[in-house]
Amino acid sequence: MSLLALSFTIIFIMVTMLVSVWQKLGLEKDIAIGTIRAAIQLLLVGYVLQFVFNSSHPLFILAIIAFMIIVASSNAAKRGKGLKGIWWRVAIAISATELLMMGLLLGLRIIEPTPQYIIPISGMTIGNAMVVAGLFLNQFKRDIHASRGEIETLLSLGATARRSVQDVMKRSVKSSMIPTIDGMKTVGLVQLPGMMTGMIIAGADPVEAVRYQILIVFAFTSSAAITSILLSTLSYRQWFTKDLRLRRIA
Amino acid sequence: MPNLLEFEQLKKSHEGSPEALLFSRVSGALAHHDRIALLGSSGQGKSTLLRILSLLDAPDEGDIRLEGVSCAKINPIEWRKAVCYVAQQAVMLPGSVEDNLRTVHHLHRIPYDAPLVRRLLAQAGLEAIDLGKNAADLSGGEKQRVALIRSLLLRPKILLLDEITASLDQSNAQRVEMLLQEWHRQEGTGMIWVTHQLEQAARISDVVWFMGRHTLLEKTPTKQFFERPETELARQFLNQPLNRGELCLS
Repeated sequence: MSLLALSFTIIFIMVTMLVSVWQKLGLEKDIAIGTIRAAIQLLLVGYVLQFVFNSSHPLFILAIIAFMIIVASSNAAKRGKGLKGIWWRVAIAISATELLMMGLLLGLRIIEPTPQYIIPISGMTIGNAMVVAGLFLNQFKRDIHASRGEIETLLSLGATARRSVQDVMKRSVKSSMIPTIDGMKTVGLVQLPGMMTGMIIAGADPVEAVRYQILIVFAFTSSAAITSILLSTLSYRQWFTKDLRLRRIA
Repeated sequence: MPNLLEFEQLKKSHEGSPEALLFSRVSGALAHHDRIALLGSSGQGKSTLLRILSLLDAPDEGDIRLEGVSCAKINPIEWRKAVCYVAQQAVMLPGSVEDNLRTVHHLHRIPYDAPLVRRLLAQAGLEAIDLGKNAADLSGGEKQRVALIRSLLLRPKILLLDEITASLDQSNAQRVEMLLQEWHRQEGTGMIWVTHQLEQAARISDVVWFMGRHTLLEKTPTKQFFERPETELARQFLNQPLNRGELCLS
């Protein structure tokens, strides 16, 4: 895309601004800030990626992945507000998922060990793990509130913390994985995924683009399962006090 | 020989508002084989006291001892196996009636005593119950009796019974009373039974604990409590029209 063509996209922003002024939505300032931030952030990412792709130094790749994990963990951990140490647990779950996914993809030579493959696929894996972690924490919190009677019944019969929340955990893990599984069922029919669309626009063979998309979709289901199961195992104890009482977290 | 259960200077405020006192300076002791009826108007914290004694809630201050050993020094799982709380709102765990009755067997590998279960079910008026039925489909009264039998199979040293006959008709309530009296004779289980039915309290207890004015106001042998209560508040409580009417029936 030429710079001239890119500059024309400002028309979309102008349309939004006009609608905001016309309808008195008061969004002009937010739209202006959003536009500038999006342009600067994306351009910066573009230059950083260009630099990393050119240097191909593993440390730069690791730094970018670490940055992605930190941002993703902070975002997902907001769903577990009130739970002590939840940030670390989310970070461990997402990191382990990324490590396992990359280990398999590189170990089995499914993708090439170059930043052009590692960084975008890591971004998608970490992004998906972030969404699943957030969904799990949200659902687990809701299920624990709803199943308080069930959990305390088991506790009063002498159950361990793990046993008392086992069924609730299963339900929450399942709920957090449903969007990924549903997405897999409708991919290509309802929406054309971003990566595939991007590759096709960039001139790649659609069949080649589809192959990579299949890889991503399958990897997503696996990463969803790993993230939610790992996070449930790491976080369930945070719902209990040391002396095994079920906490009340708003 | 130490008391079976002792508690000293327990204090508890309402959840979320520490300035609103529920009760304070609550002390008491339960000797082996004791049967206590815990009486008092609604809102005095009777259920909360039972939940604290079963370690489901924490007191703000005070200590609880089981056979002379502080709760801080006993694993909460072992504590709850010895001090079992049976809630007013019976909660059925997912699965069939039999799954619920087998809970203790699954949790602690205690052999499932089928003849005993059959006997207890018959005593509770549930001889015709379909053990394969989904427990969630039972009536409130059936759930309450299944929940009680589920707890009895744990063979705790102390049963904390929180208005367990509130959802039963008179004949089934009396069956449950008789079942528990026989269980007490055979097993020697200590009991603290919260009830609003004074006739029932008179039948099932040796001692009445009366809660009022945010504390445990009176600990009096049952006969004496109903004839000559020690405190003016207990006298007023017994003379409330509803309570007086009930006592006249006896």
